[in-house]
Amino acid sequence: MATDQFSDSDERAETEGGPLERWTQQAIRNPERVYRALFYAAMIFFMVTTLFPFYWLLVLALTPQNRLLEGTFLPEVDLFGPAVTFPLPVPKGFNPAAFVEVFQQVPFHQFMLNSFALAVTTTIIVLFIASLAGYVFGRLEFPGRGVLMLGILAISYFPPAAFVIPLFEAFTGNVPVTLPFTEVALFTPPRLLNTPGSMVIPFSALFLPLSIFILTTFYSQIPDGLEDAARVEGTSRIGALFRVIMPLSAPGVATAAILTFISVYNEYFFSSIMATSTEAANWSPIVGGILSYQTQYTTQFNLMAAASIVGVLPVVILVIIAQERIVSGLTAGALKE
Amino acid sequence: MTAETNNESTRESLRSGPLISVMRRIENLSETQYAYLLLTPVFVLLGIVALYPLLRTFELSLFETSLNQATQKFVGFDNYVQLFTGQKDRWLPGSSTFLPTEFSFDAMISSALVVTIIFSVVAVAFETIIGLGQALVLDQDFAGRRWVRAAIIIPWAVPIIIQGMIFFLMFHPSIGFLVEPLSNLGVLAERNTLNDPASALFIVTVADIWKTSAFMALLILAGLQSIDRNLYEVAKVAGASKWQQFRLITFPLILPTIGIAVLFRSVQAMRIYGLIDTVSGCEVVPSLSCMVVTTFLTRQGTSAAIAFVTAGIIGIAVSAIIYQQYREGV
Repeated sequence: MATDQFSDSDERAETEGGPLERWTQQAIRNPERVYRALFYAAMIFFMVTTLFPFYWLLVLALTPQNRLLEGTFLPEVDLFGPAVTFPLPVPKGFNPAAFVEVFQQVPFHQFMLNSFALAVTTTIIVLFIASLAGYVFGRLEFPGRGVLMLGILAISYFPPAAFVIPLFEAFTGNVPVTLPFTEVALFTPPRLLNTPGSMVIPFSALFLPLSIFILTTFYSQIPDGLEDAARVEGTSRIGALFRVIMPLSAPGVATAAILTFISVYNEYFFSSIMATSTEAANWSPIVGGILSYQTQYTTQFNLMAAASIVGVLPVVILVIIAQERIVSGLTAGALKE
Repeated sequence: MTAETNNESTRESLRSGPLISVMRRIENLSETQYAYLLLTPVFVLLGIVALYPLLRTFELSLFETSLNQATQKFVGFDNYVQLFTGQKDRWLPGSSTFLPTEFSFDAMISSALVVTIIFSVVAVAFETIIGLGQALVLDQDFAGRRWVRAAIIIPWAVPIIIQGMIFFLMFHPSIGFLVEPLSNLGVLAERNTLNDPASALFIVTVADIWKTSAFMALLILAGLQSIDRNLYEVAKVAGASKWQQFRLITFPLILPTIGIAVLFRSVQAMRIYGLIDTVSGCEVVPSLSCMVVTTFLTRQGTSAAIAFVTAGIIGIAVSAIIYQQYREGV
């Protein structure tokens, strides 16, 4: 059946005229070279478009502040005669000191440390809860399994804006949390704004579903025999989970950890709303750090660029080291269910 | 049977510590009970952070709250009626509206619902095309594939605040080198580029495409790599060109993957907030999430109503996807 389709389209291709036909014929004569050339063209295009913005940051960071504000700070190049000039994006001047100033003007390292602390805490909480849930969904049969899993998936796609008003209200710590649609006051939460709690709690819920899906996939692949053997040897149910299942799916746990870490480091919504001051001492993550260049030193574009480069380095390193895990994790989490 | 085992376990637990007795009790739970026990932390966390806030948001949307949040007046569905019919409360901060006030381009792109939909449709369309291209490149075997893949994934991992900063700097009227050529072409406004709604929407869309195409590429790549390679061998023997192989084998086989990826990505795109907030500010490009944030300190009822409508739209979309998947027996 498949061959019929091919011969069919061959006929159609022959009846078509014009440049497409000529191109096809050329491709038939020497198809591999044409495809190779196309492939390299596409690859270079994608490399340039994804990496150019980082290069632009570097240009801005290295150009001295006073040159940036001169107006057109880029050297003009007239490759096709003086009538057609275009700016060449290379730094005008060389001022690596911006990378030092970044830490002097604003304690940027503290903002980054805050981000790291928030990400690590969230990752630990998420891994613990998601391990239990992944085990349940991956290895146990019980009524309501499908519905619960789909419900958790659905929640992960809701916008944070749908949850933020009551959470902000609660984390302010002024009014007691009441049962919705009743006047029943439950308790008055402590003031959590500008503390790690106000960010770690929403982050954990937000990024929990992805980890559950990744771990479910990994846990379900472990043969039943191994768990049974451990149980026969006298391990308790929970012991088998933590001593046998989790170690065996270490790659899955690592994947979930990396993705949760990157997600928290990426997060903007709760990071900007729950850390209401851009002071590093108030647990503001890098969101606050970078915004504080914008608010206090509005015209210091070179510092904004330098801070962005410094802030992006951890994830760049992580992506280069752990790309296999990231690829497998994202595809498992997003499409398996 | 359970009664017997329970008896036994209590007798044994007398001989051991409290931790052991808890362990014993867990051992004796049925599989269903055990499953729900292990899921308790999930229920608690999602109950606190998702279920309670959602119900409370709905409750708040039924009230009109005074500016200092001292008094609340029950108004029923008035907040919703005002959002959709545009009475006295139609105008929200930054002269943006929930629905367009008239049928003009300016009115369209200052209304939250339309802006969000335009952004999602355009961004996801380009992300799909670029992601497909990237996936086809990454599917090939070549020297340095690891590095190319890392380079393509990196934008996906860039924090939103830095993504916003990159495009803020790239399109800033005084230093962004792209502003002049693009405004000559009529794509961007010449002055106040980042404060012009149409230009800012364009920049935000480009920024999102830059970051999220890689995500699309990874999903499509997974689909590509699950294709049986033998099909290509058969096709080659049958004399099919590479283009025919793509059109007749690759494309139809990855179409379902692309379909699901597009739907999920669209739902994600509807939540856009951080990028807008850093590139142009929520007053310029009022997405749905943006509007919730700009109004929630001053007009809680309106804000809650917008939040609940957004959640509703996304809830319906996700349920539709899930129902579809469920019917296909995934």
